[in-house]
Amino acid sequence: MTNQAYQIQQFIELSGALTDFNAYSLNGTGQVQSYYDTLTRIVGCVMVDELLSIFAAIYEAATDHEAFNEALRKHIIGNEKFGPVARNIIKLWYTGTWYQMAQFWRETYGMSDEDVTFFVSSASYAEGLLWQAIDANPSGAKGPGYGSWSLPPSINFDNCWQFKPFNHTS
Amino acid sequence: MSEANSTMKQVTPDTAVQNSADGKYDAVIVGSGISGAITAKELTAKGFNVLMLEAAPAKDMTYKGFRSYLSTYYANASKDNNSPYPDNPNARMPRSTDVSKLKPGVVDAKGYLVQNGPLALDSTYTRVTGGTTMHWEAKILRMLPDDFAIKSTYGVGLDWPINYEDLMPYYQLAEREIGVSANVEEQGFYGIKYEPDYVYPMHGLPPSYLDKLVAQGVDGTEFELAGETHTVKVRPFPQGRNGVPNARYNDGQGFKPVGALSTYQVEQGGRCQGNNNCVPICPVQAKYDARKTLTAAAKTGRLDFLPQAVASKVVVNEHDNSIKHIEFKHYSSTNSTEHTVHQVQGKRFILATNAIENARLMLASQLPSSSGLMGKNLMDHTYLLAWGLLPQAAGTMRGTKCTSGIADFRYGASRKTQAPFGVDIHNDGWGWATGSPFSDVETLVDEENKFGRELRQSVVDRISNQLLFAFMVEQPAQESNCVTVDNKYLDALGNQRPIINYQLSDYSKAGIAYSRHTSKVFFQRLGAQDYSKYSPLDYGYFSHEGEDYYFRGGNHFSGTHVMGTSALNSVVDENQKAWDHNNLYLIGSGSMPSIGTSNTTLTLAALCYKTSEHIIEELSRYSVGVVMDSDYKMAKGAENE
Repeated sequence: MTNQAYQIQQFIELSGALTDFNAYSLNGTGQVQSYYDTLTRIVGCVMVDELLSIFAAIYEAATDHEAFNEALRKHIIGNEKFGPVARNIIKLWYTGTWYQMAQFWRETYGMSDEDVTFFVSSASYAEGLLWQAIDANPSGAKGPGYGSWSLPPSINFDNCWQFKPFNHTS
Repeated sequence: MSEANSTMKQVTPDTAVQNSADGKYDAVIVGSGISGAITAKELTAKGFNVLMLEAAPAKDMTYKGFRSYLSTYYANASKDNNSPYPDNPNARMPRSTDVSKLKPGVVDAKGYLVQNGPLALDSTYTRVTGGTTMHWEAKILRMLPDDFAIKSTYGVGLDWPINYEDLMPYYQLAEREIGVSANVEEQGFYGIKYEPDYVYPMHGLPPSYLDKLVAQGVDGTEFELAGETHTVKVRPFPQGRNGVPNARYNDGQGFKPVGALSTYQVEQGGRCQGNNNCVPICPVQAKYDARKTLTAAAKTGRLDFLPQAVASKVVVNEHDNSIKHIEFKHYSSTNSTEHTVHQVQGKRFILATNAIENARLMLASQLPSSSGLMGKNLMDHTYLLAWGLLPQAAGTMRGTKCTSGIADFRYGASRKTQAPFGVDIHNDGWGWATGSPFSDVETLVDEENKFGRELRQSVVDRISNQLLFAFMVEQPAQESNCVTVDNKYLDALGNQRPIINYQLSDYSKAGIAYSRHTSKVFFQRLGAQDYSKYSPLDYGYFSHEGEDYYFRGGNHFSGTHVMGTSALNSVVDENQKAWDHNNLYLIGSGSMPSIGTSNTTLTLAALCYKTSEHIIEELSRYSVGVVMDSDYKMAKGAENE
């Protein structure tokens, strides 16, 4: 596995943990590569490497989902450097939009010229996970068919992300 | 040759000028929205030659051009109702994103509409081929019979010179052209009547799951108002979008829906697919837009279409005040203000821009009407929004924007003291009020610090449970609400821009306040948490009897060239002919003396059929050999029933 392939695999796992959508769902959007590229282009490869390493360490150390979530909250979500990046990854997946980083973060960790609020692409808008979460089609795309709105939504968590304890013997 | 050119006969300014000079044109129509399109279709079908000026480029007529709107929309970070339509400095359009809170006494000219206050109005229209039907929602209601006589019945606003019965045959024609989906048995209430055995072209769209939940909670609620009991019932709206054709339509001949516009076969434009995006653009063209009518007019070969031509002046003959010609500015690119000026004429001149632009053009031409009413009596529907969270997932964000609502406050004796209103149940949740669903994701992630399963569950609870009522409140005519012009405010081509002078009366405010009261009762009955907030910082904020409210514009500009019974009390007669100019028609919602609690398009479309019939009769005096077609048999037949 090339380094980038490994990084992308880690990016998918991190995205899964943050969004609660499993790798099949994330890959199914067709957006993995373009989101990974957007992230690295704007916050830089070094920052992405660091973030993914911390994530790997948390994953490896955790014994169950609860402990994993607690560590994720403390070391990533609640970290002044990585927290804003993680929240942007969540919003990227849920909405297809890159949101400009907060001013204090930009001043401290670097301002990319590309760090503005934008839809990654026309497709990314339609692939926002928020629509899947509520069993709706993205407004303006993927029309579900005449009269479909008359039925109750089918909301379930069948494609949720699952923590699998790290197998130290393998 | 481009796709567009193969269906639309586009002409150059020089050709149009030459044809004009040769006396080719029976009518010159300014504007390609629904009013202009219907009139063009009717006239050309009768063998008359029409020149149509359109301020915008014409790429919109092609499937590729349409798709480019969609791409612009998807990628636009703002999803306001004009977001799919590219900025054109030579024919700018209002955008709600341009509106901000006004400072007393300070004119806000940053958007296209110059806001002179005291209140800022965020209503818009779309200056593209097909006009505002490109972004309209296509809820398509008839007015109540009472709405035509509010002055004589309730002592407010203005009366029409015609009544519901007069418009009935034309309502039928408009419903056919637009392709309305509705069940007649669900629509005959509060005086609305239909010809015996009438059915809509297509069956009604199914109500949303959200509608059904709301109906379970609020049906049967009673309100005592002005000594009358108003009992609430959730009812479906007629829709200007394709559904299932009704085989009983037109004496059993059925109805064939009009699909997507393209010169090659596309699998689109059939039934509504529930894209939940009627405003600002239906991605599959299941929703009616005026390009469908325009294309039919073009197919006659008698419509000369001249895009990128911005009408700049209406010029009169001094001896009889008839219109001599219309001057327009033609630009070759939206990237440059470089333009040429031309004049065109025909036997009849028809201004079909919209209520704001018609009045703007007349005032800029220094033709304020001998009544002094040009631009005055500007009306719009004022909306109050009330939003809450239901205790269960309602499947919000699915279906067309709005499938059902409540009509039980549209009528009654209370109209003497407070504005009546219709109620929309919004299938797109809190979008209009808060920017949902994106704003919800932002709040949950950035403020509530949620991630993983907790986030995903919260997204469901916060979005799928949303309920938003939009109360559409009638605004009666009032002369101080008006469009004006001033040489201080010009567009890129040097045309005067519209200045909006706008205020809400106590009558309107009382109606808005009462609508808010009903929302509280509805939320109580539904067990919904009320999230509505009306900040003093909001541009639509006002306070009434100690309570905070805001209003939103309804994009239903009307009244700026009202029709009436004489040249003293109105700008146009019942055929929308200008009292002052015997060869000029000002058509569209600007002619409406009142707008009731119905979205304006069906009524203005019906008026255009009436006007077309009148123009055809007048023009027929000049020419012989005019054919009768089924349109007029239908209208006349209905009249005789």
